[in-house]
Amino acid sequence: MRAELRKLFGLPTAWVGLVLGLIAAPALVFVNAPGVRRAIESGEIADLGYENLGIGLLGALILGVVTVSSEYTSTGDDSPGAHQMTATLLAMPRRTRLLVAKGMALALVVAVQGALTASAAVLLTEVVLPEYAPPFAPDRIAAAALYWTLLALLAYAVTLIFRNGVITLTVFIVNSTVVSVSYLLTKLTPWAAYLPDIVGAHMFLRGDATGVRIAPLTAGLVMTAWVAALLAVAGYLFHRRPA
Amino acid sequence: MISIDRVSRPGILHEVSFVARPGRVTGFLGPNGAGKTSTVRILLGLDRAAGGTALINNRAYASWPRPLTVVGALLDGSGAHRARTARAHLRWLAASNGLPRGRVGEVLDVVGLAGAGGKRAGRFSLGMSRRLGLAAALLGDPPVLVLDEPFNGLDPAGIHWMREFLRRCAGEGRTVLLSSHLLDFPVDDVVVINHGRVVARGTTAEVTGEHDSLEQAFLSLTGAGAGSW
Repeated sequence: MRAELRKLFGLPTAWVGLVLGLIAAPALVFVNAPGVRRAIESGEIADLGYENLGIGLLGALILGVVTVSSEYTSTGDDSPGAHQMTATLLAMPRRTRLLVAKGMALALVVAVQGALTASAAVLLTEVVLPEYAPPFAPDRIAAAALYWTLLALLAYAVTLIFRNGVITLTVFIVNSTVVSVSYLLTKLTPWAAYLPDIVGAHMFLRGDATGVRIAPLTAGLVMTAWVAALLAVAGYLFHRRPA
Repeated sequence: MISIDRVSRPGILHEVSFVARPGRVTGFLGPNGAGKTSTVRILLGLDRAAGGTALINNRAYASWPRPLTVVGALLDGSGAHRARTARAHLRWLAASNGLPRGRVGEVLDVVGLAGAGGKRAGRFSLGMSRRLGLAAALLGDPPVLVLDEPFNGLDPAGIHWMREFLRRCAGEGRTVLLSSHLLDFPVDDVVVINHGRVVARGTTAEVTGEHDSLEQAFLSLTGAGAGSW
């Protein structure tokens, strides 16, 4: 796992994910001020500060994707079929152990990142809008960090299944920033609120943008189940497929 | 010591068996597509065999807790992500097998990349990539070396250096298995594979037999004309 942490920090893309994830949400607290004012006027202030965390999720997603996609990137033009996964498997031939070490390294980094970002976003909101900001609640911060971690693991599992970072990243980024397909589906059926990427947000958001209210604990369990299922599929495929 | 015993893979390998002994350079020779790389990948636990066993010092590769201290392998490419520096690549490898960080500088010295440790692997020439791959193979100071086409992409000076280096490794008592479609390399033992079957094995003298040279023997064993490979 130490090796996997070292490996992650040796990648420039991973730093993009780290920095983006860390600064995007707090920065939005400032940028998003007009929207926030509107929210205040309409009285929806329960999630002040927390709403901005959605954008920082991109950082967590990038980290989840690159831990795997970097393994499958071609190492050079002269040997197009060669990739780092070969070196990784030579160093750690036990595949389950490898996947667990990778997942743990990723979870650790993203959890720390999520906790720092969420704290920063909420504290900054208190500074910018002292009279409206929700009280600093460690349990909601922890829930937000957990959401980030689970989403990073989700990206990790999906990338392992497709062995391609571009597909995963496109789907997740489009879904979480441009048009949320999952969100649109909730207009068709309330069950869509249980899709893995949006159910988890109920762990720390108290507003009901989707029109469906899910208890934080239920949301956490549902999302964990999604992640566990996808990781199981990814692990199975990783064992079956040649390196 | 490497022992391959009746390793099979449908359509690719048919009961491939041979051994590579310590202190000797064993050449694993065959035309392109004969099954050399498949055999090596099975030996290293990267691919699965349908039948047979491939053991390194009597154990399967994947069952060694710190495999880099037992086997050094050089396969296609450097194994390093393009954006990673040579040193960063070797450092995570060292960490993965509990090797001291000091080894990184040592192996970079050995392969002649001492000045290029801070360079990103994507900017390496083909020859430098091979050297980085070899540095990774040597990290754990392993008694067994498995090299797949180590001369590919090397310039004449690089080829000379690699030859001397492999001879020295065998001289130190290491087991050196070297797969190649080239023959201009002095090997102690030879295994010739063609269409997934071992067609000859023994010392270089035994395999050469009545022929004028190992090359002549190879050509008649594999039925290849001079121009087809």
